[in-house]
Amino acid sequence: MIARRTGMYIALMSALTFSFALAQTQRPLLDEASRSSAKPAAVAYLYPEQITVPAGKPTAIGLHFRIGPGLHINSHTPREDELIPTVFSIPDGSGVRLEAATYPPGADFTLPLDPKTKLSVYTGEFIVQARVVAASGEHLVEARLHYQACDNNACLPPRTITAAIDVIGK
Amino acid sequence: MKRNTLVISAVLFILAAFAWAGWANWEYRKQAAERLLASTAQAELVPATGDSGSPLQFLPALLGKPAPAFTLEDLSGKKVSLSSYKGKALVINFWATWCAPCKLETPWLVELRNQYAAQGFEVLGISADDIDRGDPQKLSEEKRAIGRFVEQMHIPYPVLIDADSIGRPYGGLDDLPTSFFVDRDGIVISAQVGLTSKDETERNIKKALGIVK
Repeated sequence: MIARRTGMYIALMSALTFSFALAQTQRPLLDEASRSSAKPAAVAYLYPEQITVPAGKPTAIGLHFRIGPGLHINSHTPREDELIPTVFSIPDGSGVRLEAATYPPGADFTLPLDPKTKLSVYTGEFIVQARVVAASGEHLVEARLHYQACDNNACLPPRTITAAIDVIGK
Repeated sequence: MKRNTLVISAVLFILAAFAWAGWANWEYRKQAAERLLASTAQAELVPATGDSGSPLQFLPALLGKPAPAFTLEDLSGKKVSLSSYKGKALVINFWATWCAPCKLETPWLVELRNQYAAQGFEVLGISADDIDRGDPQKLSEEKRAIGRFVEQMHIPYPVLIDADSIGRPYGGLDDLPTSFFVDRDGIVISAQVGLTSKDETERNIKKALGIVK
């Protein structure tokens, strides 16, 4: 009788543990593999997704972005006036103010058909250092990166992507 | 027995609560993933093949059909219609001031236009630069920037603005430069996406003129 009851409790506790694990699982539905099967974006925001900063004090954070393979985007300081620079911004009223953004220097790049003209571009991964001041509390910031991407032969129209960052001011 | 029933009921209740939490969590993440997909959905650059067989997904829809009609303004505000070029072989060339490959291609088009103009050939350059019609000052600045490009490149052919307004019938124009080659009957006979070569462009112009097949 005791053994039967113990078995029943063990079974119930196992079911309980399994359910708990199911409820708490945080595996993203759209992981890297499934994202790659969607139409690739020229630039993707990588991380951080959440940061804690001292409330009211300027704090530097490094924001990581990745450019799609075979593509480049203009740096923040392209060599020609007509070319569209990469610019990071945080919308007003989000509880987090962007004091300054520091961009990496662009790398020299030449189109295969025009080896004389050097462009200043980013490729692969790059980091924007943002100095932010957050008000006390939790803020879901939809920061923006404006850029214009090309490959060796063609260019995409300028785009703005959103980098969703949970900023906690403590 | 009573105690057992009580324990089983409590456990079943907790199980149901966890199951509901799991379902709600999954639904939330599914919606977040859909939002992310929607926000990242973007045009894809078509890889250049380097020959005339560019993988243009939209070309089959346009090839052998009349070039979609349009009326656009030039830099002086004058309206220009595709229909007014009936009987001429055309290149409808979409470009932008911020497009480095377009800056390489334009001198080829200028040269080829001057070479074949006497045989009934024309280029219509259509700028894909943003146009702010609601802001006269911005619009004026944008037109000036396009005008500077036209001047620098010594473009002798008509340059029209606001490519976005006719982008859809021409396949979306997600990649620049994009050129459509139109014969004297107004039929699209070929297209090029991205920078190819001057030779290939000339070959397509000759096809549009009916000089070669």
